Amino acid sequence: MVRLVDLDELERAHLEAKACAPFDSRPWAKGPPLAERRVALVTTAGLHRRSDSAFSMVDLSFRVIPGDVDLDDLSMSHSSVHFDRSGFREDTNLVFPLDRLRELEAKGAIGSVARFHYSLMGAGWPPTAIESTARELGRLLREDEVDAACLVPV
Amino acid sequence: MRHHTEQMQLPRFLWVPFPLGRPFGAPHAPDFQRRVLHTALSLLERDQGPVLDDFPDDAPAPAAEAGDAAWSCPTSFPTAADDRPALVVAALDEIARLEPWLEQRVSSGHPDFAPIAPLSLREVVEAFGALIEDGVLPDVGEIPLQEWVRLGCDDLHGFAIEASKAQPGRPSAREREDWFWNETAIAHLIGATATALVADESPLVQGLARRAMVPRIYMSTLMPDVDPFI
Repeated sequence: MVRLVDLDELERAHLEAKACAPFDSRPWAKGPPLAERRVALVTTAGLHRRSDSAFSMVDLSFRVIPGDVDLDDLSMSHSSVHFDRSGFREDTNLVFPLDRLRELEAKGAIGSVARFHYSLMGAGWPPTAIESTARELGRLLREDEVDAACLVPV
Repeated sequence: MRHHTEQMQLPRFLWVPFPLGRPFGAPHAPDFQRRVLHTALSLLERDQGPVLDDFPDDAPAPAAEAGDAAWSCPTSFPTAADDRPALVVAALDEIARLEPWLEQRVSSGHPDFAPIAPLSLREVVEAFGALIEDGVLPDVGEIPLQEWVRLGCDDLHGFAIEASKAQPGRPSAREREDWFWNETAIAHLIGATATALVADESPLVQGLARRAMVPRIYMSTLMPDVDPFI
C-alpha cells in the first residue's frame, strides 16, 4: 500500500494508530509451481455487479464475481471516503486485475483463472470480525479447486 | 501499511508504493499492472517465510493526470456555507452545468457513470437541503438512512469528478479532489449535511457523518466544528 510519508498528516496519524496484532499462528503452505495453479482474486474494495446489492456501511458479507464478468459491470460501494476512486472508474483492472489474470493464463504464467472471485468491504470492523466470512470463502475456493488466491486491499 | 504488515507477519506480502485506491499502480497501464500481479503471485513459489517484498517501481503517471497546478474547473462556484438555500440552488446548478461534460466524456468512449443510490443526484441534493432547512430527511423505503445518504454522497462526488475529466487541463487525481472538496457547492452541501447529522441519536448515523461523508483531510474546511478523530 501507500507510503505513509506520502499521506496528509491527518490520514497518516489515523492509519498509524490502527492496532494490527500478530496472528497466533504462522501457517505456511506450499503448492505446485505458479504455472500449474488455479488463481482467484479476493478484493476488499467493496466491488459488486450492478445488479447485486451495495455493501452497507459496516458489512461483513461478500459478493461473488463470476470469472467471466464484464468488468464494466462492476460498481464500488466501499464505505471509506479516504481513498481515490477516480482511477477505478477509468479502469477496473487498477483495483481488480481480472483481465491481467486472464493474460497471465494465456501466457502460461498461471495454470487457470478461477470460476469465481470474491469481494468484501474492508472497513467498519476490526479484522478479526471477518473470520467466519473468510472461512466460508476458503471453503468455496477449495470447492472451485483454487490453490492460489491474490488478496487485494484498496 | 508496511509497518502494520511487519507487525502481523503475514505469510506472503508484496508491499507497493502506490496511492490508496490504486493497488495495481495506474489506470490503463496493462503491462505495469500485469507485472505487479505476477510479482505478487510469484511469492507463492518461495520456500520459506514470512515474506515481505517491496515492489521496486513507482507507478507510471497516467498521461491524463500529469498534474497541472494551473488547472481550475470552469464550473466552480463561489459558495457560502451559511447561506443554505443558496447552497442547494448552487449545487443543483452545478449538476446542470456538469451534465453536458459527462455526456461529452461518455460520447468519446469512456464508461458511463452509473449511480448506485436509490435517489437521483437532484433528489439527494434536495433531500440534503430539506435536512439542513427543516431537520428532516425523506423515508426511502427499507433502506436505512445511513446507507442511502452515504451512497448519495458517493454518487454526487463521483459524478462531479467524472464530468470534470472531460474539461480542458490535465490535473492530478489529488488536484481534482482538492477542486471538488474545496470549491464546489455540492461538497459544501455534503459538509453541511454531515455536520447536521453528527448530532443524530443513532450511532450509525453519527458514524456516517463523522467518517463516511467527507474525507478527513477536508473536514477542517467543510465541518470545522467536528473533531476528525472522534
